[in-house]
Amino acid sequence: MKEERIKQLTDQIVELFRRSGYDVDAKEISKRLMLLIYEFKVPESEAIRTVKNWLIKELEIPKEKLAIESPLVKIADITKPGQWISLKAKVVQLWDSSSPNVSQVGLIGDETGIIKFVIWAKSGKGEVEEGKSYLFRNVVTDSFQGRMQINVNRNSEIVEIDEDIQLPPREIEVVGALVAIQQNSGLIQRCKLCRRAMTKGICPIHGKVEGYDDLRIKGVLDDGENFYEIILNEENIKALTGIDLEKAKQIATERLDRNAVLSELKSKLLGRYLKVRGTKGGRYLIVNDVEFLKGIDKAEVERLMEEVAA
Amino acid sequence: MNGIRRREIARRIFAYEFNRSTYRIKPEEDKAPVYVLTPLGMRCNRVFVVGALLDKDEIKPDSGIWRIRVADPTGAFFGYVGRFQPDALESLMEIEPPELVAIVAKVRVFERDGRLFVSLRPESISVVDSETRDYWIYETALKTLERIRRMELKKDEDCKLAWQIYSPNLNEFRQIVRQALASLKEEFELIEEFEEEIEELKERRDMEERELEKIKEKDELEEFEEEFEFEEEEWDLSDILGE
Ligand SMILES: [Zn+2]
Repeated sequence: MKEERIKQLTDQIVELFRRSGYDVDAKEISKRLMLLIYEFKVPESEAIRTVKNWLIKELEIPKEKLAIESPLVKIADITKPGQWISLKAKVVQLWDSSSPNVSQVGLIGDETGIIKFVIWAKSGKGEVEEGKSYLFRNVVTDSFQGRMQINVNRNSEIVEIDEDIQLPPREIEVVGALVAIQQNSGLIQRCKLCRRAMTKGICPIHGKVEGYDDLRIKGVLDDGENFYEIILNEENIKALTGIDLEKAKQIATERLDRNAVLSELKSKLLGRYLKVRGTKGGRYLIVNDVEFLKGIDKAEVERLMEEVAA
Repeated sequence: MNGIRRREIARRIFAYEFNRSTYRIKPEEDKAPVYVLTPLGMRCNRVFVVGALLDKDEIKPDSGIWRIRVADPTGAFFGYVGRFQPDALESLMEIEPPELVAIVAKVRVFERDGRLFVSLRPESISVVDSETRDYWIYETALKTLERIRRMELKKDEDCKLAWQIYSPNLNEFRQIVRQALASLKEEFELIEEFEEEIEELKERRDMEERELEKIKEKDELEEFEEEFEFEEEEWDLSDILGE
């Protein structure tokens, strides 16, 4: 275990220097990392920095030549693809990925915005957890379908940090109609190993494995001017429809059909106006709180009528 | 960007304005979305409509194509549901008119003798309560008023185009908004022009149905819009990997 981790970190460092045209001695790096991390109990990030600095001195590398430390930026500043950057951010939402090439995908945020992230499987980076904050070091910005994202690759590092990174301060409220519900919603099964949504008992990564039930809706909220992709979890769904996971399982059992749950949820939610409070990131809306819209304001109708009359 | 387009917004529009939309914006490229330009200068490809489903009829026995008529306080929308809209068809089969429904639909466009007719091609139909209907009327009134204001100011190119094509009487549209809002105050004032309008719509309907039968097997008007699947499920990873 120890050796494996040290090898990973060593490879990262070797790679970083190789990119700048320097061959460095992997053995020596491993020795130093081992000493710092396991003998002296120095945090990984500190150990890495120490070794890098030592190498820079040792090889007499001019500072400007080796841009090892990518600049620390805020999410709002990410506008161009192909930049090496570092950022501190909180994981706000993990998505399913059916691709074996992707280890994890979802959204991260800081106080200036929210952005999609992709951890490539071959980056060999550990998994992140929803709600935790991390330093994403040496990640690369990318643009996909016109939207910015960050990619975590072999040369990147993800270090959990003790800070609780704040999300954009302004929680917005959107009133819109739920105009679509994606097919893989309702009573779904998730892989016990990686929590990815499974299709017909098959995890896209682990194949046929044991799964557990979950209730969720992926949908589109549309207010006539914009649309927002939202994910409703069990708690949200229960608040709206009274159907929780237990009830959903019961429906599936009674009708001998798991899809019956989706039909039931569609009939209760599609075409309804929802009031969602949440944090906006591009076309995504991270739901904090959701309810059905209640009635209209009679005074507001009066005001409009007067406006038309004028 | 491999040709995948952004999802189209579901526009809020009263039947009165919708049915008077007779101008199609020429797509700039193949497979670009079809938009109709409304008399108040809005481009429209998808709509969200809440109203009373008044009837559903199979246009011919065993044709599998159903005609629906959905009324709001300003008029009636026509729509056609066939097997290419399985979700909408499934719901429709379970609904007995009259019933309040919410419909998400693509705008279908027919052209005949140089004239354009619009109808709905529902993606989903669901039964809703009167609160949903009331909010829709309020919201649609609000947005229609916004459009009227933009038309007054000749806000953008689409407004200018709408003036050129329709030269709309804005007061007529204000009247329509007032009528819709009034229905929120007093439960359903009967609307006078309503019957008249239905007569006019019937003519178009016959025309459309003849066109529809030609389509039968393949929905030629099907477009290629971005599926709203969250895209992580459909990445072509090879071209972004690029390492
Ligand atoms: Zn798995």
